[in-house]
Amino acid sequence: MNFFNRTVRLLAFAALTLGFVAHAADSARAIIAKAALAETLAQRVETITSLLGSGDESIAGLLAAWKEDALFVYTAPDGSKIPVQLYGDKDDKDSQTATRVDSGKPLLSPAGKPLRLVASELSAVEHTSALRRAMKAVLDLLDLSTPDLKKRISAIQTLGFAQDAEKLAALQARQKIESVPSAQLALREAIALIGLKDASPEVKLASLNELAALHTIGSADALKAALADAEAAHHPSLAAAARLALNAVDSHLTTVNFFGTLFRGLSLGSILLVVALGLAITFGLMGVINMAHGEMIAVGAYTTYVVQNIFGTGLALSPFGFSFHLPGMNTGGWLYESYFIFALPLSFLSAALVGIAMERAVIQWLYRRPLESLLATWGVSLFLQQFFRRVFGSNNVQVSSPSYLSDNWTFNDIIFGWNRVFVIGFAGLIVLGVWLVLTRTSLGLLIRAVMQNRNMAACMGVRTERVNMLTFGLGSGLAGLAGAFLSQIGNVGPSLGQSYIVDCFMTVVVGGVGNLPGTVVSAFGIGLADQSLQQILLNPVLGKITVLVAIILFLQWRPAGIFVTKSRSLEG
Amino acid sequence: MITKFTTLLAAGALALGASFATAHAAETVKVGVLHSLSGTMAISETSLRDVLLFTFDEINAKGGILGKKIEPVVVDGASNWPLFAEKAKQLLEQDKVAVTFGCWTSVSRKSVLPVYEKNNGLLFYPVQYEGEEESQNVAYTAEAVNQQATPAVDYYLAEGKKKFYLLGTDYVYPQTTNLVLLEYLLSKGVKLENIGGGFKRDESGKIIAAGKYTPFSHTDYQQIIAEIKQFAASGDACVISTLNGDTNVPFFKEYAAAGLTAEKCPVVSFSISEDEFRGLPAKQLVGQLGCWTYFQSINTPANKKFVADFQAWLKTTKAPGVVKEGRVTCSPMVLSYVGVYLWKAAVEKAGSFDVDKVRAAYKTGLSFDGPGGKVTTQKNMHVTKNVFIGETKADGQFKIVKSFDNVYGEPWLKGQFKAK
Repeated sequence: MNFFNRTVRLLAFAALTLGFVAHAADSARAIIAKAALAETLAQRVETITSLLGSGDESIAGLLAAWKEDALFVYTAPDGSKIPVQLYGDKDDKDSQTATRVDSGKPLLSPAGKPLRLVASELSAVEHTSALRRAMKAVLDLLDLSTPDLKKRISAIQTLGFAQDAEKLAALQARQKIESVPSAQLALREAIALIGLKDASPEVKLASLNELAALHTIGSADALKAALADAEAAHHPSLAAAARLALNAVDSHLTTVNFFGTLFRGLSLGSILLVVALGLAITFGLMGVINMAHGEMIAVGAYTTYVVQNIFGTGLALSPFGFSFHLPGMNTGGWLYESYFIFALPLSFLSAALVGIAMERAVIQWLYRRPLESLLATWGVSLFLQQFFRRVFGSNNVQVSSPSYLSDNWTFNDIIFGWNRVFVIGFAGLIVLGVWLVLTRTSLGLLIRAVMQNRNMAACMGVRTERVNMLTFGLGSGLAGLAGAFLSQIGNVGPSLGQSYIVDCFMTVVVGGVGNLPGTVVSAFGIGLADQSLQQILLNPVLGKITVLVAIILFLQWRPAGIFVTKSRSLEG
Repeated sequence: MITKFTTLLAAGALALGASFATAHAAETVKVGVLHSLSGTMAISETSLRDVLLFTFDEINAKGGILGKKIEPVVVDGASNWPLFAEKAKQLLEQDKVAVTFGCWTSVSRKSVLPVYEKNNGLLFYPVQYEGEEESQNVAYTAEAVNQQATPAVDYYLAEGKKKFYLLGTDYVYPQTTNLVLLEYLLSKGVKLENIGGGFKRDESGKIIAAGKYTPFSHTDYQQIIAEIKQFAASGDACVISTLNGDTNVPFFKEYAAAGLTAEKCPVVSFSISEDEFRGLPAKQLVGQLGCWTYFQSINTPANKKFVADFQAWLKTTKAPGVVKEGRVTCSPMVLSYVGVYLWKAAVEKAGSFDVDKVRAAYKTGLSFDGPGGKVTTQKNMHVTKNVFIGETKADGQFKIVKSFDNVYGEPWLKGQFKAK
């Protein structure tokens, strides 16, 4: 009996919900169809706004389709206009299945057969940002219950900043069932923000205290407004509470900025380290004033560009009048995005090969003549720049960042961009790698021997020519790796190298020529100093100038850099 | 005797040559093209040279101007501002051109200006600029600040934006534009504390610079992005960017990596047109805004014909150095094109190539239906034209979201807007 009762109730409930959903689906669909056919933008916005608060499941899909230009208006043979959504794969005539927006059912021809339509022959329903904001407002309420945490939090925040008392109920309802702590925090903030607009001083005071406890950056503007209101209304206790809350936000901002600057300094330092490490070997250890180091970076960056295109649709090049087409693999999705993993070793290899070729052709004759090597490598650098122009054109080329490098992780309002985290880790890895090569391998032993005393090493039977070549290749390859990475944060063009060469020499010289730990210390030191000064002076140019002046003064005091390499040879 | 004879012959040959030259000159009119075809600005300016040559061919095919064919004299300013002045002098004094179409950067225009004023030449200038200038020897077909920057602000205000972050490259155009924008924003009731980027004041406390500036080819935007992220935390902020050239790449890459999107905090850029997307990753800019007096995506028969004609011309032209693949049209190109036709209309109305007569005719409100709609000349040497705001699409084209019709070009804006 009991069981029977329950089943009946359950069934009745299911029927009710089903009926309700079906009914709501019809109306939401009808409203969207009406909006698609509306003549003016204002009407469209109004119609879409009328969906606010609806929890209909069809809304999200339809509005997303609208935003992605997948909603069309089909003109039937009798002249009536029907909004349709196109689905599925295109056949050989480019046609797709069409469903009616108003009913969700397939679009039928007068004969009653399902119609297939071609997207390019129809006009997509237009959308402007005003309309998209209206859609967003609808979706935000919808998104209050979306399983996607990021979306949910963003929806909660949007509702909070709007400070609209009508949305309070929806937020409070969500608060009861929300289980994720970060979303709970966002809900508390949003409810408190709305409370600031409440008529009663008690609610206002409670909201101010809540916001003081939460001290979110976004609430600062609302708090300032609340403070102004309280002062205008001569309400000292509210004004005091607002000031307290603002102070809490300010001190939070100080913390965020401190750690943010620290992180940004580390990341800038890592970039300097990555670009300068190769030079620390070719200039620092080998003593070659390598003005073409920047172009080795560019070789790496262009290699990344070529690899990206091979993973994509291929690349048409027409250097020196020959035109040819590098075939592409036409990959998509994660496979395409993994191009960067393959680009890293390839850019090392290609830059190393160019470096070895350069060493064989030019530098090996100039080991004892640093000034000539300066001029000769400068010539090589000009030659390579022109070569890039002839092969890839003088415009910058586009390297797209894979999605795993173009997002961030935000902790306590401090942004940790994945590209930046990656470069810090990457810098650590290659420093470790270079250290291992130099200290734990026989090649490293030979390198150190030759660099300390070339003649003595030769007498001991070391093939110094070969060691020179490999060392120069290693330095150039590291520059290539740096180029692969730089392609993810900046421009790739023929003059890429020029913009880094000064920074490279600066880092190596400050650290102490011929001293790898010195390069590491100086890269991070310069990076941190630069970012801190930017933060303090609030001016990117002034920060950089101050760093340069500081470096000049530092080198007056310690001309040999942070770590002086002690050497018994006379040249040291 | 023999020497005398040779001298006579030589003189005869010379006279003959001279008469040939005059006969030749009777059929053509020399027109100067003064753009950087090498150096850092070549990427942008070469496109203007191309579209000018296309326009001349188009006019010549229809019989020229006053029965004369246009003979272009193309010189290279080489992104070198003093060289621009020298080349301008050469065009005016040696080649005696009737008119010059040229310059991109404001500094190149400022550098040639004395040359045109001294020789009473006429220069058509097609690229958006900061205003505060009105020479009788320059026809500004370019966007004045109120034909690009202030309409963008109007659009943002209509969108409900309350906080504005000003960011630019450190030179005269962004600096001046941002000062005008500051006055404009204050006049619209935006509070000073809601204008981001920082201010520089003189001793008396008067603001002499507004906004954040980075040098040409700056690469590290981390700090600025962090600042914008905090500025935009309350959800009603936007960025007005006058960043120039390739600094936009590191800026937008960092912008995307910090989780900022067009929906959270849109950026309107005044220096990115379709042409710039040849070297920019458009995907990372989807939804960000551009504001120009022309977009290639304008859906009118006149524009479709213009784009098709230009593409057809690219295929057949034998002019040296013209890149043929992947070409687009953009606002500065169209303003160059329109400039040639407005000059043609002025010459035909004046019935002469004389600069003073052409200028007088030019000031009478001549109209031309260009690819971006009707443009009309004004007394102050600027032009009235339509302004469009577009959203970037993944293919590097713009979707037009708002248009302002027949906006009067007003160069003198500083001090015009009074704070409420």
